[in-house]
Amino acid sequence: MTLRLLTGFCLSAALTFAAGFNMPAGKVTLKSAGALAFGPSGILFVGDSVGASIVALDVDDRTPGDAGASLEIKGVNEKIAAMLGTAADQILVQDVVVNPISHNVYISVSRGRGADAVPVILRASAAGKLTEVSLDNIKHASVTLPDSPTADRQRVETITSLKYADGRVFVAGLSNEEFSSSLRAIPFPFQTADKGTGIEIWHGSHGRFETQAPVRTFVPYEINHKTSILAAYTCTPLVTIPVSELKSGAKVKGTTIAELGNGNKPLDMIVYTKGGKHFILMANSRRGVMKLSGDNLEGYAPITKQTEVTGVPYETIASLKGVQHLDKFDDASALVLMGEGASLDLRTVPLP
Amino acid sequence: MVVNKTPLRIGFVSLLLALACAAQDTAIRAAQDTAIRMEGGVFRVAGWQAGAPPAAGWSALLSVYAGVGDIPPLLGTYSVEAGALTFRPRFFLSPGLHVRAVFQPPGGAAREAVFEIPKAAPLEATTRVAHVYPSADILPANQLKFYIYFSAPMGRGDAWHHIRLLREDGSPVALPFLEIAQELWDRDNLRLTVLFDPGRIKRGLASLAEAGPALDPGKRYTLEISRDWLDGRGAVLADEYRKGFRVGPADRAPPEVATWRVTAPRAGKTDALVLHFPKPMDYGLLQHSIAVAGRAGVGGDAAIEGSVAVASDETEWRFTPRQPWTAGAWRIIVQTTLEDLAGNHIGRPFDVDTFDKVTQSVTRETVELTFQVK
Repeated sequence: MTLRLLTGFCLSAALTFAAGFNMPAGKVTLKSAGALAFGPSGILFVGDSVGASIVALDVDDRTPGDAGASLEIKGVNEKIAAMLGTAADQILVQDVVVNPISHNVYISVSRGRGADAVPVILRASAAGKLTEVSLDNIKHASVTLPDSPTADRQRVETITSLKYADGRVFVAGLSNEEFSSSLRAIPFPFQTADKGTGIEIWHGSHGRFETQAPVRTFVPYEINHKTSILAAYTCTPLVTIPVSELKSGAKVKGTTIAELGNGNKPLDMIVYTKGGKHFILMANSRRGVMKLSGDNLEGYAPITKQTEVTGVPYETIASLKGVQHLDKFDDASALVLMGEGASLDLRTVPLP
Repeated sequence: MVVNKTPLRIGFVSLLLALACAAQDTAIRAAQDTAIRMEGGVFRVAGWQAGAPPAAGWSALLSVYAGVGDIPPLLGTYSVEAGALTFRPRFFLSPGLHVRAVFQPPGGAAREAVFEIPKAAPLEATTRVAHVYPSADILPANQLKFYIYFSAPMGRGDAWHHIRLLREDGSPVALPFLEIAQELWDRDNLRLTVLFDPGRIKRGLASLAEAGPALDPGKRYTLEISRDWLDGRGAVLADEYRKGFRVGPADRAPPEVATWRVTAPRAGKTDALVLHFPKPMDYGLLQHSIAVAGRAGVGGDAAIEGSVAVASDETEWRFTPRQPWTAGAWRIIVQTTLEDLAGNHIGRPFDVDTFDKVTQSVTRETVELTFQVK
């Protein structure tokens, strides 16, 4: 079995796509900046829930980063607030991702908490220097999410997770009105004709009851040259879904491989290899950071009946408390945004 | 000939000294006259003629810091205006900030100026919870969501500290809601959707077995919204809000359109068409899940324009057309995505029991009712 994180693809693809995608340069106006993801050749995808769109930005950041680099910015939320001319309690850090080529870190921030909040994208270098990614004249492309009329001030689909795999941007969203799944697969480069149709994701591995369950967060991974996504539903269970099944209009049922306990909401997941073994690292709202074995994921018998916490074995990493965001930094380190009080630190930690 | 050069030498040195002192005086005066001024949130170095920008950029000479401690300088843009080095922050400076501007002229002593941005005047607490849906005071044990409407835009990012579900004895229910960091607001921060944790509603899950349902049938609860939740201006709410309700049995029956009653309007009038539901429906979805159109195939396919109102604890949907009704047959087109309070869709329950053939899901996107206008 081979399992590798898809960012490996990004690295090898960087040479192929070094010239970048043919996107026109111009001003980008985001209405909000939430979930982030990196695609091929240093393309940064930004989920704009208020604007009901996904924006691809060529952040022109394709110089490979140094191996073995590390990063630490203490009080990063206070530093960002100072750059934006406000107090730390007046900004919200929405997401944090690592450019797999350069290892620079990209941060989506909301300046302000009200309806007049301004979205800002920042970059943190390995040296810890924070700069703004200017959107005044940047190569970009965007796609509007279907069935999300921005003229309707009340209906909003919040983009909870965004990932790129196999030429498509996968978008998990949660409606503020209808409880249903809305995982979308949008081909990239974006095409006018194909904005990606919703895929019905059902959660039904308890033998009996099926719900059209929203996906909260997910990560693509590869088993035996077949890409799957490992997804966490809002109702906690962890499932695997082959990407090949994620076709427009399809009804897909995830296979439950773990239930992680009441009130525990997965926030971010990464997949990595260490000592020849494969692992999943998952930041959770209530139960800290969990490390799960990623070997033989396809070998676990689906959980088909009501059980206690069970499935794929896991351990909790005691040293990582208060982790709000998690991404893979490089082959040896993870990047975390963590803090249990008002002050948040952005730093690399060795992959456990 | 002996020429005494000493006086001349002394005189020359004195002249040099005098010139040097004069230059120093000028330098001192220039430094004393150089000042960093802030007007309208824009910083200017007065008394220093800006030349060509240094290789490292103007930020090598002038930096402005908002706050205290080890912080990076403010984001902003530099320009030279009427010979004065000028810095415009990327964003306006928030009230109450301590701002420090540092100017380092080439080869000269650094100048520093401190500005205190005035604190905002105390804000009056005027924002209230305008309404919470569902309006009914009996809710099913598998109630799926609340819509909290506010009278003015709220601040994001702190909702879960201010919403509690209390039992009759005042003790809080632990983690009844899906506390997602993104918070499900509308575009104007006027409405927050609060989902009950689906893990405690959906049958057959470990979390339901472990923690039990959030709501027990037959018991009374209070949804409490604390007063110290800040609105979009940063002011607390005018009042605490409490909604008490009793819990009935779980509702796992999909809404049946055949059980809805229609009160038809009269021709030539703009009376409301009224749909009566035997149980309350989801307030948010009722706003846009039902349309009215004429007879299919006779030019009446398009939905007619009008306004929607929801009444009687969400058991009534009222549609007032813009144009008077014309006599004849009309259709009510209902999206099957419309939900009741427990998230059961038209023709499909919240969690489909795959052993029960009666509750197989419907695949149609809409269902229709007809009525006659006379």
